[in-house]
Amino acid sequence: MTELTRPVPMPDERSAPYWEAAAGHELAIARCQRCRVLTHPPDTVCPHCHSTEPDWVWDRVSGRGAVRSWTVIRQSPLPGFAADVPFVLVDVELQEQLGLRLIGRLMDGPDASLRVGDPVTLAFEDIAGGVAIPAFALGVTT
Amino acid sequence: MRGRGSGVAIIGCAQSQVERHASVTLGALTVDTARRAIDDAGLEVGDVDGFVTGALFPTAGAHAVEDGVSTVTSNWLAMHLGTNPRYAAGFQGYGQIPGAVALAVNAITSGAADYVLFHRSLYNPPGSYHGNPMRGAPGPLQWTAPQGYFGPIAMIGLPYNEYLQRYGAKRETMAKVVVEARKHGARIPWSYWHDKPLTTDDYLAAPMINDPVCRYDCDIPVDGAAAFVFTSAERAKDHPHRPVHVLGYAGGAPTTHRLPLHWPLDDIMGIGGETARRLWEATGLKAGDIDVPQLYDGFSPFVYFWLEVLGFCPVGQAHGLVEDGGIDSDRPGGLPVLSGGGALGNGRMHGVPQMLECYLQLSGRAGPRQREHANVGLACHSSPHFGGVVAYMSER
Repeated sequence: MTELTRPVPMPDERSAPYWEAAAGHELAIARCQRCRVLTHPPDTVCPHCHSTEPDWVWDRVSGRGAVRSWTVIRQSPLPGFAADVPFVLVDVELQEQLGLRLIGRLMDGPDASLRVGDPVTLAFEDIAGGVAIPAFALGVTT
Repeated sequence: MRGRGSGVAIIGCAQSQVERHASVTLGALTVDTARRAIDDAGLEVGDVDGFVTGALFPTAGAHAVEDGVSTVTSNWLAMHLGTNPRYAAGFQGYGQIPGAVALAVNAITSGAADYVLFHRSLYNPPGSYHGNPMRGAPGPLQWTAPQGYFGPIAMIGLPYNEYLQRYGAKRETMAKVVVEARKHGARIPWSYWHDKPLTTDDYLAAPMINDPVCRYDCDIPVDGAAAFVFTSAERAKDHPHRPVHVLGYAGGAPTTHRLPLHWPLDDIMGIGGETARRLWEATGLKAGDIDVPQLYDGFSPFVYFWLEVLGFCPVGQAHGLVEDGGIDSDRPGGLPVLSGGGALGNGRMHGVPQMLECYLQLSGRAGPRQREHANVGLACHSSPHFGGVVAYMSER
């Protein structure tokens, strides 16, 4: 019996560019070619202009943003996190667009002192060969 | 229905024992409960020509969904009661209780059915309720599960922490919500928590699950079933119990595209405020008119959110109201928002305790728990921005 591992993302036709970028430690966000607004995650219809042909293009973004909320995960219903708990998940508003929010691990550990509005930069969790999950770290520069 | 009622009333009900694991299947429990509700209304099974529910099994786990075992749909129940109704439907969405009540009201007012049985059945599977052994995260889960954002406890942790941070509220204040729910649950014979009140010390000693959410901020998974019989106000006069009229209802759903389970506080309060405006417009009521405002409490922070969107206190001040004893319904002037025990005081009955308390109090059938002033009630379910609320009025 192999040790339980964390769930890995299963890229699909729409999401593949996101995970390819993440594997290279870059954050890509989908932009609608009709209204030019960023959306995460990309939808089948643009949630902003409601175009049925958003033809998403993937923009590299900075991953810098501000903490809007956080929770300390002490028990997880998922496999593979037993050795990781407790860890902090932060709800981050990216600087590229008002209201553009991402949720990821805060890499500063469970005891990091946090306040709403704290600046964060992009980080990654490398959870398997060629699989990296966008995350965050406190601070204004990488 | 604006200000004049829907023309539909509840004429009877039944509630099963709420247990961690019932000794019979959920389907059998529901059939027995449905028969008792039909009998309570003075009817025979053959008189019931409509069935409604919201059959969601609200788990994030990998459990099988099997009709009659882990969920009970309207068609399953009708078939196993041995009847062939003119109308059977299920509400698909959040706020299963107000959603299914609306189906019952509309079926009766449109003439699709004369007597509608509403039921809700909740199941506690063996093992972990939300535990999910997934190795890969497909579809919507790929955006959140790989980093460990999964299940409703993490979901409520984010907006609850936003609330604490934004308004300088203390986590310790929430003890008063949970202790109040358990105080009433301890008085209710069918509750899982009957005779088992919670102390503030118990609350504060409970393990944290996803900060700031501790174990007792979450309702406990249970097996249980409840059923109510609806008919027209005109027919309701000829039945044994005092009718409780549906005055109106309102609901809402998120309008902003988000990550799965991402409920920012501004979404909850913004759309929730619209849910409240719709309710007041539909009923002509205002917060001060409500004798029995039963707020949803599947997670304790929902009590703050509902208190504020419904206008029982200004936005950001629910924690202060609670801290000052404002929801201690044994105190003169205390708002009886959890007098039915809620989900925290009964078990995970998903909005049933709120509806049941409205019915029992407004029909004068609450026994030793009967409140003196109980003419208008609200039964809330789920989040203010992803759920709904029904207003009830007694015959008096």
